[in-house]
Amino acid sequence: MDTLLLLLHGFEVALTPANLMWALIGSVLGTAIGILPGIGPALTIALLLPVTVSVGPVSAFIMFAGVLYGAMYGGSTTSILINTPGEAGSMMTALEGNKMARAGRGAAALATAAIGSFVAGTIATLLLTFAAPVVAELAFLLKPADYFALTVLAFTSVAVVMGASRVRGFTSLFIGLALGVIGIDAMTGQPRMTFGAQDLLDGVELTVVLVSLFAIGEILYVASRYSHSKDEIIAVKGKAFMTRDDWRRSWKPWLRGTAIGFPIGTIPGGGSEIPTMLSYTLEKKLSRHKDEFGKGAIEGVAGPEAANNAAAAGILVPLLTLGLPTSATAAILLAAFQNYGLQPGPFLFTSNPELIWGLIASLYIGNVMLLVLNLPLVGIWVKLLQIPRPQLYAGILIFALMGIWGVSGSVFDLGMMAGLGVLGYVMRVYGFPIAPLLIGMILVPLAENQLRTALAASQGRVSVLFETPVSITFLLLSFLFLFLPFLIKRLKKAA
Amino acid sequence: MMSPRRGPWWLGLAVIFMGAVCFYASSELSATAQYAAIGPGMAVAVVGLGLIVLGVLLLIQIARGEVFEPEDAENAVPGRTMDKRAFVTALLAAVLPALAIETLGLPVTAMLSFMLVARAFGSKRLVSDLIAGFVLATLCWFLFGWLGLQLGGFFPLAGV
Repeated sequence: MDTLLLLLHGFEVALTPANLMWALIGSVLGTAIGILPGIGPALTIALLLPVTVSVGPVSAFIMFAGVLYGAMYGGSTTSILINTPGEAGSMMTALEGNKMARAGRGAAALATAAIGSFVAGTIATLLLTFAAPVVAELAFLLKPADYFALTVLAFTSVAVVMGASRVRGFTSLFIGLALGVIGIDAMTGQPRMTFGAQDLLDGVELTVVLVSLFAIGEILYVASRYSHSKDEIIAVKGKAFMTRDDWRRSWKPWLRGTAIGFPIGTIPGGGSEIPTMLSYTLEKKLSRHKDEFGKGAIEGVAGPEAANNAAAAGILVPLLTLGLPTSATAAILLAAFQNYGLQPGPFLFTSNPELIWGLIASLYIGNVMLLVLNLPLVGIWVKLLQIPRPQLYAGILIFALMGIWGVSGSVFDLGMMAGLGVLGYVMRVYGFPIAPLLIGMILVPLAENQLRTALAASQGRVSVLFETPVSITFLLLSFLFLFLPFLIKRLKKAA
Repeated sequence: MMSPRRGPWWLGLAVIFMGAVCFYASSELSATAQYAAIGPGMAVAVVGLGLIVLGVLLLIQIARGEVFEPEDAENAVPGRTMDKRAFVTALLAAVLPALAIETLGLPVTAMLSFMLVARAFGSKRLVSDLIAGFVLATLCWFLFGWLGLQLGGFFPLAGV
């Protein structure tokens, strides 16, 4: 078994004291930001990107992996204890989890969420371990036209799934595409869309865009609609951990959640909302305690939490094997790879196995760390919520400033920060999703490059794009995605 | 809230404008570097065209009375009318760095922005916000500088 050997080598890399420390830093930071409002995993990783200047890629990615998983654990804590799901993926958890906490069963809800996340995270990492090399092998067979069709699929699916409306999703995507083509054209050396500005020749940095849209946009939005009422934090009373009955009712939802979450996570546009919703609906259908749903059914926490974590691991499959980001977090991870001059994809498995397998091994380790960090220490984490909001958001602005000024040292970028911040504000007010913009922006060079390579090889014959079964399948799927909203609407009704 | 009869027309117009800018930029790109009918201008033209079409679609939706639900955010009430004063204060905090960082340096600029954001969120403790902002920014300045980032002088106005 080659894979096992490689994984073993990965553990050797991940288990060095220095890398264990990076994993711990990542996990702690991830949990903290999962609990704090206003900052998600994508923004955190963007703000941590400056460390890529002085830290090697293996250590940096081990830390980022900790942030990625940690944010999931932290997110479930806030949805259970204060009913404010930070992201779409924790919405379902809040539904039942908060009711459980109100009924004095907060400890059990937190436990089933944490253990479910651990079980799902570990199984999903296992699936990732064995699926990734296979997909990477297959990816070698992809022709430029196939790759182009794949990026089209990623674009359409993300634009359709991430927002409330297709028009707004595609608008966001196309703004991203426009930002992505700014700069010197890689194939001909001509400056595009720079309008004579020297600062635009190198293109626009994804970090600048992401930090401005998420941090500045969020600050402007929340400031202008600030709710002065205080969140009610439900104290975790007593030591009522999971009872034998809770275990009996939790383990199947954990496994089913994983089975739903991982495959959907690997599909472009799968996201975290659909798998958690599916898992919730399924558990409600299968449960023998249907009457408890809506009043705090433990299955409704266990299943969606597992699905959420498994989907997060699933996102890594297309990212590592094809270089295809399918969420905002994946887009910023791709930017981090590019900071090191690395391009994720099948070649990375052969050229840099230490990085890939070290990263995968650290996912197992991070999961164990997070379980230990979250179960007994949840009381400490909740204290973070006592930071007063004005100073918290002010602090976020300072970190955004560090992230942009620290990396580029460019006043022009700081000006863009303000401008894009306003864009982020407008997008929030009118319900435009942000992820399609980021994915469009980071993927457009790849899409364009593959398209032009394919067309050049066929001397301009456009039909080359529809000649292989692979490209036809991807393009057909992209077309079908346009009709997905009807399906989701029905699902929402069912839940 | 926007009255349904007067929808956000400018939103569609802004998207059309962005598309027009792209389209104009693509026409500037010379056709000399073309190979096999596809040159550097094509992607730009496609994006421009896409944005124009989407802008028109947005206008149609707005004319039909499409409701634009704001995104949910923690600590915010999406349906609430905009607090203009808070918005402008927070916007000032975001604009300030581009104007001030080269003369005042990162710690002082960040301190001022910190205070402005805190005020936008209703904090009344001016002095303690300034102190907190300065301490946090200074800590960041040393920590990230130690990590190897170029953060500029501590207070360039005084030559430090």
